Amino acid sequence: MAGSKEIKRRIKSVKSTKKITKAMELVAASKMKRAVAATLASRTYAEYSWEVLVSISKGLDEITHPLFVKRPTKKTLLILITSNRGLCGAYNAQVIRKSLTFLKKRVHGENVDIMTVGKKGDVAMCRVGEKICSSFTDLPDNISLANMTPISKLALHEYSAGNYDKVLVAYTDFVSAMTQAPNIKQVLPISKTELKEFISGLEEIRDSENPEKKPNHLGNDKKTNYLIEGDQNKLLGSLAEKLVKMQIYQMLLESNASEQSSRMIAMKNASEAAGEMIDDLTLVFNKSRQASITQEISEISAGMASVS
Amino acid sequence: MTKKLKLKIVTPERLILEEDVDQVTFPTTEGELTVLPGHIPLIAGLSSGDVVAFANGEHMPWAVAGGFVEVKKDEKGQTTVAVLADFAEHVSELSDEAIVKAKARAEELRKQMENTEHVDYEHFAAELERSLTRVRIADKWRSKKYRG
Repeated sequence: MAGSKEIKRRIKSVKSTKKITKAMELVAASKMKRAVAATLASRTYAEYSWEVLVSISKGLDEITHPLFVKRPTKKTLLILITSNRGLCGAYNAQVIRKSLTFLKKRVHGENVDIMTVGKKGDVAMCRVGEKICSSFTDLPDNISLANMTPISKLALHEYSAGNYDKVLVAYTDFVSAMTQAPNIKQVLPISKTELKEFISGLEEIRDSENPEKKPNHLGNDKKTNYLIEGDQNKLLGSLAEKLVKMQIYQMLLESNASEQSSRMIAMKNASEAAGEMIDDLTLVFNKSRQASITQEISEISAGMASVS
Repeated sequence: MTKKLKLKIVTPERLILEEDVDQVTFPTTEGELTVLPGHIPLIAGLSSGDVVAFANGEHMPWAVAGGFVEVKKDEKGQTTVAVLADFAEHVSELSDEAIVKAKARAEELRKQMENTEHVDYEHFAAELERSLTRVRIADKWRSKKYRG
Protein backbone atom coordinates (compact mmCIF):
# COMPACT_ATOMS: atom_id res chain seq x y z
CA MET A 1 0.00 0.00 0.00
CA ALA A 2 1.26 3.43 -0.89
CA GLY A 3 2.45 5.62 1.91
CA SER A 4 -0.24 7.75 3.46
CA LYS A 5 1.84 10.86 2.92
CA GLU A 6 1.92 10.17 -0.80
CA ILE A 7 -1.85 9.75 -0.94
CA LYS A 8 -2.40 12.92 1.04
CA ARG A 9 -0.35 14.82 -1.47
CA ARG A 10 -2.33 13.43 -4.36
CA ILE A 11 -5.62 14.34 -2.72
CA LYS A 12 -4.39 17.87 -2.27
CA SER A 13 -3.35 18.22 -5.89
CA VAL A 14 -6.64 16.83 -7.19
CA LYS A 15 -8.50 19.22 -4.92
CA SER A 16 -6.72 22.24 -6.33
CA THR A 17 -7.35 20.99 -9.86
CA LYS A 18 -11.01 20.71 -9.04
CA LYS A 19 -11.05 24.28 -7.80
CA ILE A 20 -9.62 25.47 -11.11
CA THR A 21 -12.02 23.47 -13.26
CA LYS A 22 -14.92 24.65 -11.15
CA ALA A 23 -13.87 28.26 -11.60
CA MET A 24 -13.49 27.76 -15.35
CA GLU A 25 -16.92 26.22 -15.47
CA LEU A 26 -18.49 29.23 -13.80
CA VAL A 27 -16.63 31.66 -16.03
CA ALA A 28 -17.70 29.76 -19.14
CA ALA A 29 -21.29 29.68 -17.91
CA SER A 30 -21.47 33.44 -17.49
CA LYS A 31 -19.72 34.03 -20.80
CA MET A 32 -22.14 31.69 -22.48
CA LYS A 33 -25.08 33.63 -21.13
CA ARG A 34 -23.64 36.80 -22.54
CA ALA A 35 -22.92 35.19 -25.90
CA VAL A 36 -26.45 33.80 -26.16
CA ALA A 37 -27.88 37.20 -25.26
CA ALA A 38 -25.80 38.82 -27.99
CA THR A 39 -27.01 36.24 -30.49
CA LEU A 40 -30.60 36.97 -29.60
CA ALA A 41 -30.08 40.73 -29.61
CA SER A 42 -28.84 40.79 -33.18
CA ARG A 43 -31.68 38.57 -34.32
CA THR A 44 -34.17 41.44 -34.64
CA TYR A 45 -31.92 43.12 -37.13
CA ALA A 46 -31.58 39.91 -39.09
CA GLU A 47 -35.32 39.49 -39.31
CA TYR A 48 -35.95 43.04 -40.42
CA SER A 49 -33.23 43.04 -43.01
CA TRP A 50 -34.69 39.82 -44.39
CA GLU A 51 -38.09 41.46 -44.60
CA VAL A 52 -36.67 44.44 -46.41
CA LEU A 53 -34.85 42.18 -48.82
CA VAL A 54 -38.02 40.27 -49.62
CA SER A 55 -39.95 43.48 -50.16
CA ILE A 56 -37.36 44.99 -52.44
CA SER A 57 -36.76 41.89 -54.48
CA LYS A 58 -40.47 41.45 -55.04
CA GLY A 59 -40.46 44.66 -57.04
CA LEU A 60 -37.71 43.38 -59.30
CA ASP A 61 -38.18 40.71 -61.95
CA GLU A 62 -34.76 39.26 -61.49
CA ILE A 63 -31.99 40.02 -59.10
CA THR A 64 -28.99 40.93 -61.14
CA HIS A 65 -26.81 42.24 -58.39
CA PRO A 66 -23.41 40.49 -58.47
CA LEU A 67 -23.72 39.35 -54.87
CA PHE A 68 -26.78 37.31 -55.79
CA VAL A 69 -25.67 35.86 -59.10
CA LYS A 70 -24.15 32.39 -59.16
CA ARG A 71 -21.07 31.94 -61.25
CA PRO A 72 -19.10 28.84 -62.22
CA THR A 73 -17.02 27.87 -59.23
CA LYS A 74 -13.31 27.94 -59.83
CA LYS A 75 -12.13 29.03 -56.46
CA THR A 76 -13.80 28.76 -53.10
CA LEU A 77 -13.09 30.53 -49.86
CA LEU A 78 -13.83 28.65 -46.66
CA ILE A 79 -14.02 30.64 -43.46
CA LEU A 80 -13.36 28.35 -40.54
CA ILE A 81 -14.49 29.60 -37.17
CA THR A 82 -12.78 28.00 -34.18
CA SER A 83 -11.68 29.11 -30.75
CA ASN A 84 -8.39 30.54 -29.64
CA ARG A 85 -8.10 28.33 -26.62
CA GLY A 86 -8.57 24.68 -25.88
CA LEU A 87 -10.17 22.91 -22.94
CA CYS A 88 -13.57 23.07 -24.52
CA GLY A 89 -14.42 19.48 -25.23
CA ALA A 90 -14.96 18.42 -28.80
CA TYR A 91 -15.91 21.91 -29.97
CA ASN A 92 -12.90 22.55 -32.18
CA ALA A 93 -12.45 18.94 -33.22
CA GLN A 94 -16.01 18.74 -34.50
CA VAL A 95 -15.95 21.78 -36.71
CA ILE A 96 -12.47 20.97 -38.01
CA ARG A 97 -13.48 17.41 -38.84
CA LYS A 98 -16.52 18.73 -40.66
CA SER A 99 -14.44 21.05 -42.79
CA LEU A 100 -11.86 18.33 -43.45
CA THR A 101 -14.51 16.00 -44.81
CA PHE A 102 -15.74 18.88 -46.91
CA LEU A 103 -12.23 19.45 -48.23
CA LYS A 104 -11.83 15.78 -49.06
CA LYS A 105 -15.07 15.67 -50.96
CA ARG A 106 -14.20 18.50 -53.31
CA VAL A 107 -13.84 17.72 -56.96
CA HIS A 108 -10.32 17.23 -58.14
CA GLY A 109 -8.81 20.49 -59.21
CA GLU A 110 -11.25 22.61 -57.31
CA ASN A 111 -9.37 25.27 -55.50
CA VAL A 112 -10.22 25.98 -51.90
CA ASP A 113 -8.51 28.62 -49.84
CA ILE A 114 -9.08 28.86 -46.15
CA MET A 115 -9.52 31.82 -43.91
CA THR A 116 -9.27 30.89 -40.28
CA VAL A 117 -10.77 32.63 -37.31
CA GLY A 118 -9.19 31.37 -34.10
CA LYS A 119 -5.84 29.75 -33.44
CA LYS A 120 -7.08 26.18 -33.23
CA GLY A 121 -8.32 26.11 -36.78
CA ASP A 122 -5.12 27.74 -37.92
CA VAL A 123 -3.00 25.00 -36.38
CA ALA A 124 -5.20 22.21 -37.69
CA MET A 125 -5.22 23.51 -41.25
CA CYS A 126 -1.47 24.02 -41.22
CA ARG A 127 -1.05 20.42 -40.17
CA VAL A 128 -2.99 19.03 -43.11
CA GLY A 129 -1.22 21.42 -45.42
CA GLU A 130 -4.16 23.42 -46.70
CA LYS A 131 -3.66 26.87 -48.10
CA ILE A 132 -4.52 29.52 -45.57
CA CYS A 133 -5.01 32.92 -47.11
CA SER A 134 -5.57 34.85 -43.93
CA SER A 135 -6.15 34.21 -40.27
CA PHE A 136 -7.81 36.24 -37.57
CA THR A 137 -6.74 35.24 -34.11
CA ASP A 138 -7.30 38.25 -31.93
CA LEU A 139 -11.04 38.39 -31.56
CA PRO A 140 -12.20 39.12 -28.02
CA ASP A 141 -14.67 36.94 -26.16
CA ASN A 142 -17.57 39.29 -26.59
CA ILE A 143 -17.39 40.07 -30.25
CA SER A 144 -18.67 43.43 -31.34
CA LEU A 145 -19.54 44.37 -34.87
CA ALA A 146 -16.40 46.45 -35.17
CA ASN A 147 -14.27 43.41 -34.38
CA MET A 148 -15.63 41.37 -37.21
CA THR A 149 -15.85 44.06 -39.87
CA PRO A 150 -12.43 43.16 -41.35
CA ILE A 151 -13.55 39.56 -41.85
CA SER A 152 -16.72 40.36 -43.73
CA LYS A 153 -15.05 43.16 -45.61
CA LEU A 154 -12.28 40.89 -46.79
CA ALA A 155 -14.76 38.23 -47.86
CA LEU A 156 -16.92 40.73 -49.73
CA HIS A 157 -13.97 42.39 -51.33
CA GLU A 158 -12.38 39.15 -52.52
CA TYR A 159 -15.70 37.95 -53.83
CA SER A 160 -16.48 41.13 -55.74
CA ALA A 161 -12.96 41.24 -57.12
CA GLY A 162 -13.57 37.80 -58.58
CA ASN A 163 -10.79 36.08 -56.65
CA TYR A 164 -13.31 33.64 -55.27
CA ASP A 165 -16.57 32.47 -56.76
CA LYS A 166 -18.07 31.12 -53.59
CA VAL A 167 -17.66 31.89 -49.90
CA LEU A 168 -18.53 29.27 -47.31
CA VAL A 169 -18.43 29.47 -43.55
CA ALA A 170 -17.75 26.52 -41.27
CA TYR A 171 -19.14 27.35 -37.87
CA THR A 172 -20.81 25.71 -34.90
CA ASP A 173 -24.54 25.98 -34.60
CA PHE A 174 -25.71 26.66 -31.07
CA VAL A 175 -28.70 24.36 -30.69
CA SER A 176 -28.85 24.39 -26.91
CA ALA A 177 -26.46 24.49 -23.99
CA MET A 178 -26.06 20.72 -24.29
CA THR A 179 -25.86 20.30 -28.04
CA GLN A 180 -23.90 22.14 -30.68
CA ALA A 181 -23.75 21.10 -34.28
CA PRO A 182 -20.92 21.92 -36.70
CA ASN A 183 -22.21 23.34 -39.93
CA ILE A 184 -21.04 24.63 -43.29
CA LYS A 185 -23.08 27.35 -44.93
CA GLN A 186 -22.75 29.34 -48.07
CA VAL A 187 -22.82 33.10 -47.57
CA LEU A 188 -21.82 34.26 -51.03
CA PRO A 189 -23.38 34.36 -53.55
CA ILE A 190 -26.49 35.00 -51.49
CA SER A 191 -29.11 32.39 -52.13
CA LYS A 192 -32.50 33.36 -50.86
CA THR A 193 -33.46 29.89 -49.74
CA GLU A 194 -30.34 29.43 -47.66
CA LEU A 195 -30.76 32.81 -46.09
CA LYS A 196 -34.33 32.10 -45.23
CA GLU A 197 -33.29 28.83 -43.64
CA PHE A 198 -30.64 30.62 -41.65
CA ILE A 199 -32.96 33.26 -40.31
CA SER A 200 -35.71 30.81 -39.45
CA GLY A 201 -33.00 28.84 -37.65
CA LEU A 202 -32.49 31.89 -35.49
CA GLU A 203 -36.17 31.98 -34.74
CA GLU A 204 -35.92 28.49 -33.35
CA ILE A 205 -33.39 29.54 -30.75
CA ARG A 206 -35.66 32.29 -29.62
CA ASP A 207 -38.65 29.98 -29.57
CA SER A 208 -36.83 27.54 -27.35
CA GLU A 209 -35.92 30.41 -25.05
CA ASN A 210 -39.40 31.79 -24.63
CA PRO A 211 -41.93 29.60 -26.37
CA GLU A 212 -44.95 31.74 -25.57
CA LYS A 213 -43.97 34.44 -28.05
CA LYS A 214 -44.18 33.29 -31.61
CA PRO A 215 -44.75 36.00 -34.17
CA ASN A 216 -43.68 34.27 -37.32
CA HIS A 217 -43.45 36.94 -39.95
CA LEU A 218 -41.21 34.96 -42.22
CA GLY A 219 -44.01 32.77 -43.42
CA ASN A 220 -46.43 35.42 -44.48
CA ASP A 221 -45.51 36.68 -47.88
CA LYS A 222 -48.32 39.13 -47.72
CA LYS A 223 -48.28 41.47 -50.63
CA THR A 224 -47.56 44.94 -49.43
CA ASN A 225 -46.58 47.36 -52.09
CA TYR A 226 -43.77 49.45 -50.84
CA LEU A 227 -42.87 52.83 -52.08
CA ILE A 228 -39.16 52.59 -52.61
CA GLU A 229 -37.08 55.72 -52.37
CA GLY A 230 -33.88 55.83 -54.30
CA ASP A 231 -32.43 53.36 -56.73
CA GLN A 232 -33.65 49.84 -56.08
CA ASN A 233 -30.49 48.17 -57.26
CA LYS A 234 -28.33 50.41 -55.17
CA LEU A 235 -30.45 49.74 -52.12
CA LEU A 236 -30.36 46.05 -52.85
CA GLY A 237 -26.60 46.13 -53.13
CA SER A 238 -26.01 47.80 -49.82
CA LEU A 239 -28.64 45.58 -48.24
CA ALA A 240 -26.87 42.51 -49.61
CA GLU A 241 -23.60 43.62 -48.12
CA LYS A 242 -25.25 44.18 -44.78
CA LEU A 243 -26.90 40.81 -44.92
CA VAL A 244 -23.59 39.08 -45.52
CA LYS A 245 -22.00 40.99 -42.71
CA MET A 246 -24.89 40.26 -40.41
CA GLN A 247 -24.77 36.58 -41.29
CA ILE A 248 -21.08 36.22 -40.58
CA TYR A 249 -21.52 38.18 -37.38
CA GLN A 250 -24.33 35.91 -36.32
CA MET A 251 -22.24 32.84 -37.10
CA LEU A 252 -19.39 34.19 -35.03
CA LEU A 253 -21.74 34.81 -32.15
CA GLU A 254 -23.20 31.33 -32.41
CA SER A 255 -19.76 29.78 -32.52
CA ASN A 256 -18.79 31.80 -29.51
CA ALA A 257 -21.84 30.66 -27.59
CA SER A 258 -21.13 27.07 -28.59
CA GLU A 259 -17.53 27.35 -27.51
CA GLN A 260 -18.46 28.66 -24.10
CA SER A 261 -21.17 26.12 -23.54
CA SER A 262 -19.01 23.19 -24.58
CA ARG A 263 -16.27 24.50 -22.37
CA MET A 264 -18.75 24.72 -19.54
CA ILE A 265 -19.81 21.10 -20.05
CA ALA A 266 -16.21 19.91 -20.36
CA MET A 267 -15.25 21.67 -17.16
CA LYS A 268 -18.31 20.39 -15.40
CA ASN A 269 -17.32 16.85 -16.30
CA ALA A 270 -13.79 17.50 -15.17
CA SER A 271 -14.97 18.82 -11.79
CA GLU A 272 -17.17 15.78 -11.31
CA ALA A 273 -14.34 13.43 -12.21
CA ALA A 274 -12.08 15.24 -9.76
CA GLY A 275 -14.71 14.85 -7.05
CA GLU A 276 -14.91 11.12 -7.66
CA MET A 277 -11.16 10.83 -7.62
CA ILE A 278 -10.99 12.65 -4.30
CA ASP A 279 -13.55 10.23 -2.84
CA ASP A 280 -11.58 7.21 -4.03
CA LEU A 281 -8.29 8.56 -2.77
CA THR A 282 -9.79 9.45 0.60
CA LEU A 283 -11.00 5.87 0.92
CA VAL A 284 -7.54 4.52 0.12
CA PHE A 285 -6.01 6.98 2.53
CA ASN A 286 -8.32 5.96 5.38
CA LYS A 287 -7.70 2.30 4.69
CA SER A 288 -3.95 2.72 4.83
CA ARG A 289 -4.25 4.81 8.01
CA GLN A 290 -6.39 2.14 9.62
CA ALA A 291 -3.97 -0.57 8.52
CA SER A 292 -1.02 1.20 10.04
CA ILE A 293 -2.91 1.73 13.34
CA THR A 294 -3.90 -1.93 13.46
CA GLN A 295 -0.34 -2.90 12.78
CA GLU A 296 0.96 -0.65 15.55
CA ILE A 297 -1.54 -2.03 18.07
CA SER A 298 -0.68 -5.60 17.23
CA GLU A 299 3.01 -4.78 17.55
CA ILE A 300 2.49 -3.17 20.95
CA SER A 301 0.38 -6.03 22.24
CA ALA A 302 2.92 -8.53 20.93
CA GLY A 303 5.65 -6.66 22.80
CA MET A 304 3.52 -6.61 25.96
CA ALA A 305 2.99 -10.35 25.71
CA SER A 306 6.71 -11.06 25.35
CA VAL A 307 7.57 -8.85 28.36
CA SER A 308 5.06 -10.37 30.76
CA MET B 1 -54.15 62.36 -30.61
CA THR B 2 -54.91 58.72 -30.33
CA LYS B 3 -53.04 57.53 -33.35
CA LYS B 4 -49.45 56.72 -32.76
CA LEU B 5 -46.80 54.98 -34.72
CA LYS B 6 -44.52 52.31 -33.41
CA LEU B 7 -40.87 53.19 -33.76
CA LYS B 8 -38.14 50.59 -33.61
CA ILE B 9 -34.49 51.41 -33.85
CA VAL B 10 -32.40 48.32 -34.45
CA THR B 11 -28.68 47.86 -34.92
CA PRO B 12 -26.97 44.56 -35.64
CA GLU B 13 -25.87 44.47 -32.04
CA ARG B 14 -29.07 45.22 -30.23
CA LEU B 15 -32.56 46.64 -30.22
CA ILE B 16 -32.04 50.25 -29.24
CA LEU B 17 -35.61 51.40 -28.88
CA GLU B 18 -39.16 50.23 -29.23
CA GLU B 19 -41.71 52.88 -28.42
CA ASP B 20 -44.94 54.49 -29.55
CA VAL B 21 -44.34 57.99 -30.85
CA ASP B 22 -46.32 60.69 -32.64
CA GLN B 23 -43.98 61.29 -35.53
CA VAL B 24 -40.47 60.55 -36.62
CA THR B 25 -38.03 62.34 -38.87
CA PHE B 26 -35.01 60.72 -40.44
CA PRO B 27 -32.41 61.48 -43.09
CA THR B 28 -32.75 59.30 -46.17
CA THR B 29 -30.40 59.15 -49.09
CA GLU B 30 -32.90 61.32 -50.98
CA GLY B 31 -33.39 63.92 -48.27
CA GLU B 32 -35.06 64.33 -44.92
CA LEU B 33 -38.36 62.59 -44.40
CA THR B 34 -40.99 62.82 -41.69
CA VAL B 35 -43.38 59.97 -41.12
CA LEU B 36 -46.74 60.41 -39.42
CA PRO B 37 -49.19 57.66 -38.45
CA GLY B 38 -50.94 56.27 -41.52
CA HIS B 39 -47.98 56.66 -43.84
CA ILE B 40 -47.94 54.32 -46.82
CA PRO B 41 -45.44 51.44 -46.79
CA LEU B 42 -42.01 52.70 -47.70
CA ILE B 43 -38.45 51.56 -47.93
CA ALA B 44 -35.60 54.00 -48.05
CA GLY B 45 -31.88 54.07 -47.53
CA LEU B 46 -30.69 55.88 -44.45
CA SER B 47 -27.86 58.37 -44.61
CA SER B 48 -25.95 59.65 -41.64
CA GLY B 49 -27.61 62.23 -39.44
CA ASP B 50 -30.19 62.26 -36.71
CA VAL B 51 -33.39 60.31 -36.27
CA VAL B 52 -35.76 62.49 -34.28
CA ALA B 53 -38.85 61.02 -32.70
CA PHE B 54 -41.55 63.30 -31.40
CA ALA B 55 -43.69 62.06 -28.54
CA ASN B 56 -45.72 63.87 -25.87
CA GLY B 57 -44.36 67.21 -26.97
CA GLU B 58 -40.76 66.14 -26.59
CA HIS B 59 -38.03 65.44 -29.07
CA MET B 60 -35.92 62.31 -28.85
CA PRO B 61 -32.87 62.49 -31.06
CA TRP B 62 -30.49 59.68 -32.04
CA ALA B 63 -27.35 59.97 -34.07
CA VAL B 64 -27.35 57.30 -36.78
CA ALA B 65 -25.16 56.34 -39.70
CA GLY B 66 -26.07 54.18 -42.63
CA GLY B 67 -28.80 51.60 -42.97
CA PHE B 68 -32.45 51.35 -43.96
CA VAL B 69 -35.86 52.51 -42.98
CA GLU B 70 -38.92 50.40 -43.41
CA VAL B 71 -42.40 51.79 -42.91
CA LYS B 72 -45.33 49.38 -42.93
CA LYS B 73 -48.62 48.57 -41.29
CA ASP B 74 -48.70 45.70 -38.84
CA GLU B 75 -51.60 43.29 -38.35
CA LYS B 76 -53.54 45.74 -36.21
CA GLY B 77 -53.19 48.51 -38.75
CA GLN B 78 -50.71 50.45 -36.69
CA THR B 79 -47.96 52.11 -38.67
CA THR B 80 -44.61 50.65 -37.79
CA VAL B 81 -41.34 52.35 -38.54
CA ALA B 82 -38.26 50.16 -38.37
CA VAL B 83 -34.93 51.94 -38.53
CA LEU B 84 -32.14 49.52 -39.34
CA ALA B 85 -29.01 51.47 -38.60
CA ASP B 86 -25.41 50.36 -38.67
CA PHE B 87 -24.86 52.45 -35.64
CA ALA B 88 -27.16 54.47 -33.39
CA GLU B 89 -26.52 56.47 -30.27
CA HIS B 90 -28.81 58.65 -28.23
CA VAL B 91 -27.69 62.25 -28.20
CA SER B 92 -27.40 62.27 -24.42
CA GLU B 93 -24.88 59.45 -24.76
CA LEU B 94 -22.74 61.80 -26.76
CA SER B 95 -21.07 63.48 -23.84
CA ASP B 96 -18.67 66.35 -24.38
CA GLU B 97 -15.76 64.12 -23.64
CA ALA B 98 -16.80 61.64 -26.26
CA ILE B 99 -17.24 64.43 -28.74
CA VAL B 100 -13.75 65.74 -28.21
CA LYS B 101 -12.54 62.20 -28.72
CA ALA B 102 -14.64 61.78 -31.82
CA LYS B 103 -13.25 65.02 -33.23
CA ALA B 104 -9.70 63.94 -32.57
CA ARG B 105 -10.43 60.59 -34.09
CA ALA B 106 -11.92 62.15 -37.18
CA GLU B 107 -8.82 64.29 -37.64
CA GLU B 108 -6.58 61.30 -37.17
CA LEU B 109 -8.55 59.20 -39.60
CA ARG B 110 -8.49 61.92 -42.20
CA LYS B 111 -4.73 62.10 -41.92
CA GLN B 112 -4.43 58.36 -42.22
CA MET B 113 -6.55 58.41 -45.32
CA GLU B 114 -4.27 60.94 -46.92
CA ASN B 115 -1.04 59.29 -45.95
CA THR B 116 -1.59 55.75 -46.99
CA GLU B 117 -2.42 55.18 -50.59
CA HIS B 118 -4.03 51.83 -50.39
CA VAL B 119 -5.43 50.84 -47.05
CA ASP B 120 -8.86 49.79 -46.18
CA TYR B 121 -10.32 52.98 -47.51
CA GLU B 122 -13.91 52.03 -46.92
CA HIS B 123 -13.29 51.09 -43.34
CA PHE B 124 -11.74 54.44 -42.59
CA ALA B 125 -14.43 56.24 -44.51
CA ALA B 126 -17.11 54.55 -42.40
CA GLU B 127 -15.27 55.36 -39.20
CA LEU B 128 -14.78 58.94 -40.26
CA GLU B 129 -18.42 59.24 -41.18
CA ARG B 130 -19.40 58.01 -37.74
CA SER B 131 -17.10 60.36 -35.93
CA LEU B 132 -18.24 63.31 -37.97
CA THR B 133 -21.89 62.40 -37.48
CA ARG B 134 -21.38 62.24 -33.74
CA VAL B 135 -19.83 65.68 -33.70
CA ARG B 136 -22.38 67.22 -36.02
CA ILE B 137 -25.42 65.85 -34.23
CA ALA B 138 -24.11 66.68 -30.80
CA ASP B 139 -23.45 70.26 -31.87
CA LYS B 140 -26.89 70.52 -33.34
CA TRP B 141 -28.67 69.39 -30.19
CA ARG B 142 -26.48 71.13 -27.70
CA SER B 143 -28.71 74.17 -27.29
CA LYS B 144 -32.04 72.44 -27.92
CA LYS B 145 -34.24 70.69 -25.48
CA TYR B 146 -34.84 66.99 -25.74
CA ARG B 147 -35.91 64.04 -23.67
CA GLY B 148 -33.03 62.08 -22.29
